[in-house]
Amino acid sequence: MTESTITLPVAIRVELFGVPAVLAARREVTVHSVIGDLSSVASALAVVCPTLIGPVLHAETGWLLGGYTFVVDDTFTRDREHPIAPDSSVLLVSSTAGG
Amino acid sequence: MHGVHGRLLHIDLATGLSEARPIPDAVFREVLGGNGLASWLLLEWCPPGADALGPENPLIFATSPFVGTGITTASKVAVAAKSPQTGMIGDSLSSSYLALALKRTGFDALVITGRARDMSLLVVDDDRVEIRPARHLLGLDPVMTAEAVRLETSAGFRVAAIGVAGERLVSYAAIANDGRLAGRTGTGAVMGSKNLKAIAVSGSHLPQVAHPAELARAARELARKSLGPGSAKYREIGTAANLAFFSRIGILPTRNFQSGSFEQANAISGETLFAEHRVDKHACAACTIGCEHHYRTSDDGSETTVRLEYESLFALGSLCGIADPNVVLRAAALCDMLGIDAISTGVTIAWAMECVERGVDVGYPIEELPRFGDGASVLRVIQAIGERVGLGELLALGTRAASAQVGQGSDAWAMHVKGLEMPGYDPRKLRTLALGLAVGTRGACHSRSSAYEIDLSDRLTPRAEAHVRARAAADAEDQAAVLDSLTICKFLRHCFDDLYDETANLYSLVTGIPTTADDLRQAGTRITAVKKTFNIRQGWTRADDTLPPRVFDGDSLTRERLDELIDAYYTVRGWDEHGIPQAGVPVLFSSMVLVGECSG
Repeated sequence: MTESTITLPVAIRVELFGVPAVLAARREVTVHSVIGDLSSVASALAVVCPTLIGPVLHAETGWLLGGYTFVVDDTFTRDREHPIAPDSSVLLVSSTAGG
Repeated sequence: MHGVHGRLLHIDLATGLSEARPIPDAVFREVLGGNGLASWLLLEWCPPGADALGPENPLIFATSPFVGTGITTASKVAVAAKSPQTGMIGDSLSSSYLALALKRTGFDALVITGRARDMSLLVVDDDRVEIRPARHLLGLDPVMTAEAVRLETSAGFRVAAIGVAGERLVSYAAIANDGRLAGRTGTGAVMGSKNLKAIAVSGSHLPQVAHPAELARAARELARKSLGPGSAKYREIGTAANLAFFSRIGILPTRNFQSGSFEQANAISGETLFAEHRVDKHACAACTIGCEHHYRTSDDGSETTVRLEYESLFALGSLCGIADPNVVLRAAALCDMLGIDAISTGVTIAWAMECVERGVDVGYPIEELPRFGDGASVLRVIQAIGERVGLGELLALGTRAASAQVGQGSDAWAMHVKGLEMPGYDPRKLRTLALGLAVGTRGACHSRSSAYEIDLSDRLTPRAEAHVRARAAADAEDQAAVLDSLTICKFLRHCFDDLYDETANLYSLVTGIPTTADDLRQAGTRITAVKKTFNIRQGWTRADDTLPPRVFDGDSLTRERLDELIDAYYTVRGWDEHGIPQAGVPVLFSSMVLVGECSG
């Protein structure tokens, strides 16, 4: 007998800064990710904030354009497979740091 | 060599005489132009031990081969002099039409020495040089000065001018042109010390470039890239976008660096300013990015519109505990009108605020003193600094000199490196930048170091070994030197596929000199060495490469850890343990007698 499991979506709070915040007209958004990595977070963001598609998120892949990065628990990363836990701190910001 | 005139104009304000002098092609090959050229000329013209406010300190304006070529963002002029703030190299960049007009005069640089008998206006119109009386311009702000000068010359002139702060030798006075500032290191005070209120330049000829058709194609391609995501932040919101994010990750200097987060950051964030105060945006001459966002306030019945950058926002906002965006906008506008550097202004005021908070007697009536969060006191003190009246007389000295005068341990919270006030990045969490600020030739400067880019990325882990971090800091510093010398805006840096390859190609197309990416890398290292050599001549020692005591919190950053990083940085540079370049280091300029001086 095999044990079956059901993976439930986890709620991830994403804080938006700069251009993403202005385009989405909000400073934070909660998305639901099943897989639990950054790729799924980006895909979920595209659904919740469609205004990010094009300027911030690639229209076809749903992944970040070159000018943006996530900051997950104080780590800057553009790794699509970076794991995300329900209590992860996730920020979306321009990768063009500073002034 | 194409792309340059190959000559400078020396003006002696004491005698009123001027002469053209050649600049050998080798100089451009080795230090490129712009900031590198200005630094090299300063090394050549400024004697060791010169009084920064004395007639012997040269004030230098330099353009680059890229100015006037149509390469996007490249219309910048470099300014250099011995800094009255640091006693070391003072170098700054300013953008827009002044650079084009200066290059059209037929000179690549102006070297201004001496001191005029009375307040003067220097007019350079092609080869014609005139020094005119300018007492009627005294007290005017830079914008009004430029308008008055163009009325009495012609509308075709572009003007660099000082405000009242420069006239009164405020140590961090700036030089303004076209609404922009050569802000840092007090070159405006040097200009004021020469009794030079303004410089007006105009001309009729630009040098030919070597390969105009190919250059036009490459410039068009770069302009196209400049509109991509790599510059979106600057185009859409501007550098003000840094503030909320920096506060969130704990690197926003707040209340004189007592904290890295500002609980009211949202009130003055770039996002809030964009929504509630932004009116339009502008671009410098020959720039496709257009980062200059203008904001308006009319809270007190009078309307003020001002260009605002993150550095002004942090210095006049969170650093002083100010959460009212109207105050920050008025304060920034006031700094521009008086002609003072907003970073040094804010940091010096924040130092005074902490003196008040700690009950330190600074020697002025209590009603004159600023307090954290008190916007009215900030505006009042900025005016006093610009005019050097009351408390402003003390604060016009900057944090290092002011804390030395007040004593009582107040140097413990004087936030500067080598006398230059700290920019808006808390080095306690930015370890590569901490090193970059400590060893920076002009003092605490984020722009010359650029090492924050490494910390705010995934390029190094927090546990990176010292030599790896030192290499990264040196590379960032050299890249900044290259961009500042090509006079390409740093906001373009993420628009290249390969920055060195593409800029080397542009340099080849402009000058006709085959130039590789490695040539530019070596030039960056060489330019840093030129600046370092200037500082050594002026008395620099290793003890100057440090950070303010406050940042050594015993946790994220210690003196021992910084010393380890500095040792590694010197090793990477090929310098000895005292930070002195050694004979045989291949970065030293071939025609200069630097090695013997430095290693002695």
